Amino acid sequence: MSLRNTRLLFLLCLPLLLVACSDGPDTRGQKIYRPSLGGAPTSLDPVQSATVYANHVVVNVYDTLYAYKYLKRPYELKPNLAEGMPEVSEDGLTYIIRIQPDVHFIDDPAFPDGKGREVTAEDFVYSMKRHFDPKSRSQGNWLWAGKIRGMEEWKKAGADYAQEVEGLLALDRYTVQIRLTRPFPQLVHTLAQGFSAIVPHEAVDYYGREFSVHPVGSGPFRLQTFDSVRAVLVRNSGFRREPISLEFEGYDEAVHGKYGIAEIEGRIPPLVDRLEIHFIKESLSRWNSFTKGDEIQYATIPKELLDEVLAKKQPEVKLKPAYARRYFMSSGLENGFVHTDFNMKDPLIGYNEDKEREKRNHALRCAIRYAWDWAERNRTFYNDMGFVFPGIIPPVVPEYDPHASREALEHNPDKGRRLLEENGWTPENLPTLTLGGVASVDSRQMFEQFRGWLLRIGYPKEKINFDAYASFGDYNRAVKQAKIMIIGMGWGLDYPDAENTLQLFYGPNGSPGSNASNFNDPEYNRLYEKSSVMQPSLERTQIFRRMNEIVLDSCVTISGLSRKNIFLWHKDVVAFPDQSIVGGFYFRYVDVKEADR
Amino acid sequence: METKERTSLWAKAWYKFRRDRIGMVSLGVVLLYLVIALGVWLGLWGQDWSSIEGPMWAPPGPEHWLGTNIIGQDIFERAIYSTRTAFDVGMVVAILSTLLGGLLGALSGYFANSWVDELILWLMGVLDAIPFYLFVAALAYALQGNPYAMHIAMIATFWTTTSRLVRGEVIKLKNFEFVEAARAIGLPQRLIIFRHITPNTFHILLVQATIVFVSAIKSEVILSFLGLGITHGVSWGLMIAESTQEVQAGHFSNFVTASTFLFVLVMAFNMFSDSLQDALDPKKVSA
Repeated sequence: MSLRNTRLLFLLCLPLLLVACSDGPDTRGQKIYRPSLGGAPTSLDPVQSATVYANHVVVNVYDTLYAYKYLKRPYELKPNLAEGMPEVSEDGLTYIIRIQPDVHFIDDPAFPDGKGREVTAEDFVYSMKRHFDPKSRSQGNWLWAGKIRGMEEWKKAGADYAQEVEGLLALDRYTVQIRLTRPFPQLVHTLAQGFSAIVPHEAVDYYGREFSVHPVGSGPFRLQTFDSVRAVLVRNSGFRREPISLEFEGYDEAVHGKYGIAEIEGRIPPLVDRLEIHFIKESLSRWNSFTKGDEIQYATIPKELLDEVLAKKQPEVKLKPAYARRYFMSSGLENGFVHTDFNMKDPLIGYNEDKEREKRNHALRCAIRYAWDWAERNRTFYNDMGFVFPGIIPPVVPEYDPHASREALEHNPDKGRRLLEENGWTPENLPTLTLGGVASVDSRQMFEQFRGWLLRIGYPKEKINFDAYASFGDYNRAVKQAKIMIIGMGWGLDYPDAENTLQLFYGPNGSPGSNASNFNDPEYNRLYEKSSVMQPSLERTQIFRRMNEIVLDSCVTISGLSRKNIFLWHKDVVAFPDQSIVGGFYFRYVDVKEADR
Repeated sequence: METKERTSLWAKAWYKFRRDRIGMVSLGVVLLYLVIALGVWLGLWGQDWSSIEGPMWAPPGPEHWLGTNIIGQDIFERAIYSTRTAFDVGMVVAILSTLLGGLLGALSGYFANSWVDELILWLMGVLDAIPFYLFVAALAYALQGNPYAMHIAMIATFWTTTSRLVRGEVIKLKNFEFVEAARAIGLPQRLIIFRHITPNTFHILLVQATIVFVSAIKSEVILSFLGLGITHGVSWGLMIAESTQEVQAGHFSNFVTASTFLFVLVMAFNMFSDSLQDALDPKKVSA
């Protein structure tokens, strides 16, 4: 090859070399927000978006009919794709919802000519029907199971989408009618969740199983890339233009003024061009990425570093000056709680055909609860900042009873040991216990702590095992299949109503539904059915509290603790992050002061 | 007539090994660890590794010699118990992978260039081509929580080196006169391979076993650190995994203890293995 040819070849290859050296697409001049989450979604299909991680992506690439106001607390619903709040019949059984016209899905090869078509009422009907189509493997159908007229029959008749469902109709191109079997006051809340996001049937048909990683929606962002490390979303240029009204969104100068949120007034979401959601399981890795400065812009403080970062933990949380200069912070109790459930489907510890054994199993569960040391758990893993309460009604909902008996929280190994002895349990005949969890250091140490407590009530060490799963998705799948005996769980409220936590123990919601413990108590079920159609009232609160007592008396769960959330974000980010009820919905209102350089 | 006393290869090797000071010291350290592990097996010590006996992150003191971890477990107890885990894994993997490697290597060598040899060589090539940690992860997934997934993965991959070495040795041995003689008197192949040839590869197997032992311990630590290792009990790998978060908070005892226990054992075993190799090398022994 001559020298001239060699030079020519070099020049031809130069662009390839330059491309090879670059780290992804050119984002210079773009506004990028880089939040982080503690886990990765396993599916972005709305019917399977059962985790908070999936929800963060789903509500940003799809539209829901309703949403929560960005800043308003207590939380308040607002229309999103819907034109207004629903018209509800007097008996509370019929809902008429009008959706906005001229809203389009993003352009995608799934559509004829690749051009996204208009979102219609039929799309909502289709999306809801998918939850009851066994092929969709929905994880959210428990929300509406038995509540929409004709849906069960439609499912039994073979889930044919061409057939109408009596209680779910598109009256015209932009009007949806929902008819319920019984009043369901939380219906509108459920229509603000990722589960109810609107998908086009063309995309579901076109992508098949791959639809779970190829979202095609009408939300403010469109997905660019997605893997177990991060999801990259870019602005949907065709997103409807809805100027922000801070007053409507619940802006309070005293609370939000310090975060500079006033400057987004009147602007049109989404405010950033690109969203890079990083999934970082290890809290310290997340922290290192956050403090590095040019990586993620939003994180929580790892428990090991709280003393280093915080000047004050109780009652008010305060950052040390060095951190306060660099970051914004908000804190508060989470909208949910952590609890440990016993799988009642497991005859070794739960229901049993032998009623005598079932009685002894009850004593065994109560003994384990006596071994549990909430104070130690709070100190070790939650820096003594968690709030421990008896039962399943957390302190953030109005039905919480601050005067409830705290006996179920008592740590009394002697009592536990006596209970075992009185019920004929000996080290030889005690069943082997298996606690499930994700294969992480924290989960393992929580297990070791649990085992340490059980040793104090005389449980043999070799009969306490840990069942580790590689990811939260795997673990959650095993929970849904009722494979795990003792289940460590956290629950984030889907909507701010205690009904949402009480349904966790409603019998018909058993696996693969949200009732991971598979608790099935006739009185509890009856009270749930009675109260779930009631509007908030004193009577309903009393029923809720009675249900809480039934769960505690059954020793079906060791509960609970609401964690204190501390969120930090960089000062060049204009935001009021909220991971729980609002979920990732706030991403569209986040602004970043400086574009990528 | 002057008679020369006959000395076996093993006696010569032992004589040589005894004169190797580093070898003897490292053997002493390994034996010390073995005594610790035996004590745990017999229930003499290290039994309270899972009890929560102290406060969170207690500093070293008379009650907890090396302090406690985040949930108040005694770090010294855990390190002692982990010695047993290391020997459990090391011995099981070393013995089984050496046996497997010896057996398949002998067959492969004796039937060199036949289909048996081809098959075994192909199998070794395939296993060597799979990245070890990916293989363990895949196996752990396939075995769905089987506590021996890690052992099986190590045995399935560590035997190949032994097998290659034994194969070479057997190819050399099978042309020796004593094998020719065995064939001439009509001994079955099975006896020729396992009674006459294989015993002459024992020096290779012994050295390989010590090397595999060390590799298994190191791999166990790495796999446990990654969450793919032991599912029951505690190990230095798990202690190091725990310590990754503690170190950031300024608590180093877990990390230093586990690392030191591991370092000393691996170092001693490596030196012991080197000395053993020198002592058993036929060229050096007969010199």
